[in-house]
Amino acid sequence: MRKYIIDAKNMEEKELNRSIKEHAVNYDKLIIKNPQSNHNIAAGLTESVEIEIDGSAGYFVGTMVDGPKIHVKQNAGWFAGDNMTCGELIIEGGTGDGAGQGIYGGTVVVKGDTGSRTGEIMKGGTVIIGGNSGYMTGLLMMGGRLIVLGNVTDDAGESIMRGTIYVLGEVKSLGKHAQMEQTTLEDQKELKRILTKYGFEITDVDYTNFKKITNNSKQELMW
Amino acid sequence: MCGIAGIIYKDKKTHKVGKSLTSMLESLQHRGPDSAGFAIYGGLNLPENNYQLNIEIKDNSEALNQVKTTLTEISSIFQEELIKSDEKYNVYRCEISLNNYSMLKPLIRNLDELDDVQVLNGSHSFEMIKDIGKVKDIAKRYNVTKRTGTHGIGHTRFATESGIDRYHAHPYQSYIRPDITVVHNGQITNYWKIRDPLERKGHIFETLNDTECIVHYIADKLNQGYKLEEVLEEAVKDLDGPFSILVGTPDGIGIAKDKLGLRPGVMAENDDIFAIASEEMSLQDVLDTDHVEQIAPGETRSYTL
Repeated sequence: MRKYIIDAKNMEEKELNRSIKEHAVNYDKLIIKNPQSNHNIAAGLTESVEIEIDGSAGYFVGTMVDGPKIHVKQNAGWFAGDNMTCGELIIEGGTGDGAGQGIYGGTVVVKGDTGSRTGEIMKGGTVIIGGNSGYMTGLLMMGGRLIVLGNVTDDAGESIMRGTIYVLGEVKSLGKHAQMEQTTLEDQKELKRILTKYGFEITDVDYTNFKKITNNSKQELMW
Repeated sequence: MCGIAGIIYKDKKTHKVGKSLTSMLESLQHRGPDSAGFAIYGGLNLPENNYQLNIEIKDNSEALNQVKTTLTEISSIFQEELIKSDEKYNVYRCEISLNNYSMLKPLIRNLDELDDVQVLNGSHSFEMIKDIGKVKDIAKRYNVTKRTGTHGIGHTRFATESGIDRYHAHPYQSYIRPDITVVHNGQITNYWKIRDPLERKGHIFETLNDTECIVHYIADKLNQGYKLEEVLEEAVKDLDGPFSILVGTPDGIGIAKDKLGLRPGVMAENDDIFAIASEEMSLQDVLDTDHVEQIAPGETRSYTL
């Protein structure tokens, strides 16, 4: 595996992203040292490269990516993985608001807690939150699946249209147009497959305790 | 956008708060390029009844003479310094003595009536530094990194509601109660609903800026006997719109976020420091931790010495 180290200390945001894009073409793995919570790291990257961010990232890490596997070793700011279409974003710590906002595909994994509006307007793909998720989790979801292993606070699934939110912990309250039901055996099998893949170890009993939040409308949506 | 930052040292001793806040605000520079400011508490050590004034004066010796004449009518001038801010304006900093705190606001209003003069603030237990431009330049101009204290708050401004000048740079101060400051990221949408009852109580507003409204609201609540934490909780209930507000008092700092959590705020602490900022990158300048807490919608956090 060909690796390349980029030291982001004192690098401007654009300079860092230019370097990432240049080296992503010729290397299999890029290691970003001293990321200093810079914003927009790896924005718009379309190479199938591994990127290790050795620290915390700022807002919009991995925004609009199509293909790379990004691993953030600490935290990330708001809108991690925003609008990604394909690839993987794994964050070892927590994130701010809007993790997985608007994704079309790929997987966003946050091992710690997240802020508000996790997975808002997501259209596809998978978002996994290892800890708790805040206010209006899954706001205006249009597709995909959002899995929360901890608790979610008020108005979960607010105005959800399509897609599914799975919650293992407590759901403080549901938002408008959201309903909560028990998971099926098929759901549980799929949850086990995806969570095992990303290293989450929970018991078989826990899998039966997941709740499933979906749109409560009996009518077909107009679009 | 605007960036906010605050830090408090838990041992109650003085530290290089100016240096810490400068680093924190430099990391938030991208959130606001127009102006920046600091309120650094606990380092002034003024005698009781003494106050530090910061006065913007057009580069014009007559205006400065008039300021000094007005001041010496009621007090000796103990220390003074003229800091060049830009080609047209200086900031005149001086220390005066008043018989009681209630004389401070009328004095400021008298000074404000002079041509080419605008009082930026008057304080006893904190040092206000605010100006137009980038954090780095302002810090250099006012030697901020050498300023010590127990705690402080700071701001980088992206102007959205009022002019770009020294007075409208944050922090804002209220004179309803001594030494209360606020920095703010957001907009208050029920501004008049908050302002009207405060004006009916006789509180004086100098601008139409919502941050001025917030600082008077906070000071008024503190005057009613609420503790800082309680005031912040009241602010979440009473203020509408997207906001993260950071309050400085002579013995603490605290943040309140709006009910929908539309403006950012993070915090981290260790045995020595409690710090708040708009973004994690700002906290990393003063704390070596990966345990950064997101402040939730409607949540408040504070630390009092």
